[in-house]
Amino acid sequence: MIDLKDIVVKFGDFEALHKISVHVNEGEFFTFLGPSGCGKTTTLRTVTGFIEPVSGTVSMQGKDITHVPIEKRQIGIVFQSYALFPTMTVHDNIEFGLKIKKIPKPDRDRKVAEIARKVDLSDEQLKKAVAQLSGGQQQRVAIARALVTEPAIICMDEPLSNLDAKLRVQLRNELKKMQRDFGITCIYVTHDQEEALTLSDRIAVFNKGYIEQIGTPNEVYNHSASEFVANFIGDINPVGEGIVRKMGLDGKKHHFIRLERVVVNQPVREGECRLRGVIRSMEYYGLYIKYYIDCLGQTLKVIEKNDGINIYYEGQEVDVGIHPMDMMSYGA
Amino acid sequence: MQNTLKRSGPGLDKLWKVFGGVLFAYLFLGFMVIPCFNTLSSVFTTKDAAGNTDPLAVIRFFFAGSMPSFVWNSLKLALCLVFTVNLVGISIVLLTEYFDIKGAKVLRMGYMTTLIYSGVALVTGYQFLYDNDGIVTTWLVQQFPMMNKQWFSGFSAVLFTMTFACTSNHMLFLRNAIRGIDYNTVEAARNLGAKPFKVLLKVVMPTLLPTLFSLTVMTFITGLCAMSAPTLLGYNSINPEIVRLAGSSTADESFPQARAALLSVILAMFTIILLTTLNHYERKGHYLSVSKTKAKLVKQKIRNPVANVLAHIYAYVLFVIYMTPVVMIVLFSFQNWQAIQAKVLNGFTFVNYFGTENYSYTRSNGKVKVVEDAISGMFSNEKTLGGIQLSFIMSAAAAALACVIVVVAVNYIFKNKNKKRSRAAEACLLFPWLLPTILICYSYRIYFNSNVWYVFSQNLYYRQNVRILIIIAYTVVKLPFALRMIKAAFYAIDDELEDAARNLGASQLVTFLRVKLPIVLPSVLAVFALNFNSLFTEYDMGATFQSSNGTTYAMVIQSMTDEEGRNGFNRNATGRRCASTVFIMIVSGIILYLVYGVGARDLAERLERRDRRRRRIAAIRAKLGGGKAEEKKAV
Repeated sequence: MIDLKDIVVKFGDFEALHKISVHVNEGEFFTFLGPSGCGKTTTLRTVTGFIEPVSGTVSMQGKDITHVPIEKRQIGIVFQSYALFPTMTVHDNIEFGLKIKKIPKPDRDRKVAEIARKVDLSDEQLKKAVAQLSGGQQQRVAIARALVTEPAIICMDEPLSNLDAKLRVQLRNELKKMQRDFGITCIYVTHDQEEALTLSDRIAVFNKGYIEQIGTPNEVYNHSASEFVANFIGDINPVGEGIVRKMGLDGKKHHFIRLERVVVNQPVREGECRLRGVIRSMEYYGLYIKYYIDCLGQTLKVIEKNDGINIYYEGQEVDVGIHPMDMMSYGA
Repeated sequence: MQNTLKRSGPGLDKLWKVFGGVLFAYLFLGFMVIPCFNTLSSVFTTKDAAGNTDPLAVIRFFFAGSMPSFVWNSLKLALCLVFTVNLVGISIVLLTEYFDIKGAKVLRMGYMTTLIYSGVALVTGYQFLYDNDGIVTTWLVQQFPMMNKQWFSGFSAVLFTMTFACTSNHMLFLRNAIRGIDYNTVEAARNLGAKPFKVLLKVVMPTLLPTLFSLTVMTFITGLCAMSAPTLLGYNSINPEIVRLAGSSTADESFPQARAALLSVILAMFTIILLTTLNHYERKGHYLSVSKTKAKLVKQKIRNPVANVLAHIYAYVLFVIYMTPVVMIVLFSFQNWQAIQAKVLNGFTFVNYFGTENYSYTRSNGKVKVVEDAISGMFSNEKTLGGIQLSFIMSAAAAALACVIVVVAVNYIFKNKNKKRSRAAEACLLFPWLLPTILICYSYRIYFNSNVWYVFSQNLYYRQNVRILIIIAYTVVKLPFALRMIKAAFYAIDDELEDAARNLGASQLVTFLRVKLPIVLPSVLAVFALNFNSLFTEYDMGATFQSSNGTTYAMVIQSMTDEEGRNGFNRNATGRRCASTVFIMIVSGIILYLVYGVGARDLAERLERRDRRRRRIAAIRAKLGGGKAEEKKAV
């Protein structure tokens, strides 16, 4: 569907993207994930045509579109701020792209009504100014505006970042549902790993203008290709020298273990390394409890499901179990 | 540098850019740099009696003659105004916004009258009250026969008038600044044991300092460049002298034009120094609130009963000073000349607005003398109507032109952010700010009073061409203000809006017209209206051009004062002057309402209002329909 091949983007002397290559499949929800300044938005803007690469090619459905102007690429965009035109009504916002394409008025009205119904916007809301809508409704308008011109793919640049936590979760689900309903290919940019994991079919993890890993959420989380990915996706424990020695691991490598893979006061599993630790502090999250356990000269973070029975307190001694199979190791 | 994809037709785009650049350079050089440079150079190109160029002749003349007294007079006025205007300006803002004074809303309305009533109209209004046969002076002389009837002239009159006339900026900017104070800081100071006066002095006032400093500089420049008040009230300051010298000839006195140019340059030097200081200070920009959640200011009660009473008395005395001219002018605009002369209200008439009779009076020999061209009604008087029409057209044209130039330029500046060429364009547009208005107008008057090659070899000062020259001068003078305001509005445009429009296929022109312009339009209209308002009643520039083909409304009003001055010549002029002032107040009031009342509403507010209106109409219809149905039932 979309192919980026050896893309290099420069801003003056600064090279923002170093020969990156990505392939996005048709109908896929593909996410560019990474910290600020890693190049994910630059890559998206290269796909959409706002940025022309110094070298490399952008292809869509086999056609080279590297030098095709933005408006001729058939790519819909949902911006971070939604970029809804504040001086137009919701209807006029959605209609804007159709008007530019000189589509006759009756067809325009029909298309606007259709897309509005699909994204769950009422006739009453269509007559309103965008400022009169809630954050969630505004997002739907932005999606409707991007989709009404029937683009081949839709690109979204952190569209949930301006919303409060509760609304983010709610809209995240709606977004995924809408993408499935429309069956459209979606490229999504975010720095929020939780958002990426819940929404995506596949994720490309960016770092300093390179792609560190491309894979399914399970692959990038459980089989992180690099130390950076392992650290960036989810919370993780770097395993200290004491434990490494006790477990007989390769001392030249860096070892990590996810919080939920460390068990406390559980029956011993086969091949498991059993350690003695002391609860230093705890954080109560309701659904789960996060413990900080002093163990062989380091503090391990551990997450335990809150079953209301097995709750440990500061100073309490506990058995800590780590299985070598759960270790993630990377060369120094 | 970001590598963005170019749209189709890059050749045409380049051509437009070159054309725009050349046009901009032509306007900047032709109407700002060359005429002003000509003025500057004329100071040093004076010829002596033998015909030899003597570069220092004017400067020697300056020190030998009476010219320093004009500079000193202007400086004296400016310095005194800084003190008096700040005193009154700070008081009225504190009284209406900070202290809990009974009737603050009414007081605020009174203090804000200078927004709709300024310049020549205000000065003539004050004259109407305070000059030797003014209402207030007459009343005061009746009460205190020893009082000097001529008290309202010269320096004291100018200072008194301008003190109250120049507080409008305080009411606009200082009021905003005080409203922006975080009340939590006041509460914190009180909680730490500070007394109310200490809180005002140590917590509130320091946060107002940047605004106060700007206002002080602006007041100083206003005082230095004062024109209408010194001209009408008889005070020898720089600007009236420049205008006098510009109209003089070498037959009457030594090199008058070069002296006028020197005075203009002195004014420019003062202005540049002051604005540079202001700019330097503004860049420091401290005293900003660091609070993330500001609390709204709560008005402070004055606990000491004596101080409270004194504050109320002071507030209402100021209110009376502000309101008396307005009320009197409105009331007397509906009186005939006999009533105006007697300073008593007698009946009600529209004669000053629509009267068609010439002024007539009975001579000592019993014959009735009719004075021609002395029609009483402002809308029937050809000269007054002509002044209104000319000012209206010229002000509207200049205000529109300034907005168009600035909108196009700001769009360019934002498209080329952080590039040298955009910074240069901005500096060119701000250039007139450094020069006193009078210098620009004087330069135009002198330089364009001959055939200039780059304006199609026309003499722009000749006959009706002068109107074009005045429009250009008006436009140039208003560019810096328009730039500051419109640039601020452009900051509100999210970059992503432009990207979104491009992504949806809109061309640059469509994006500008349909997306960006509607967003900045309220601000552009506000700038247009405010510029129009100030130009419509503008006196200084019109007086500098001093052309019979460019007699503006303010000059007509000023000439009415002359007509009245010649006793027995035209008493209709007084009433017409009152009516003209009321007309100005109405026009300014309507424009301010349109700008800040209607224009400030966004789309959401407009739609809500439309819905409410529809609901009301539907309710009325339903009521009427219901009523009719009941009637039908009854039948």
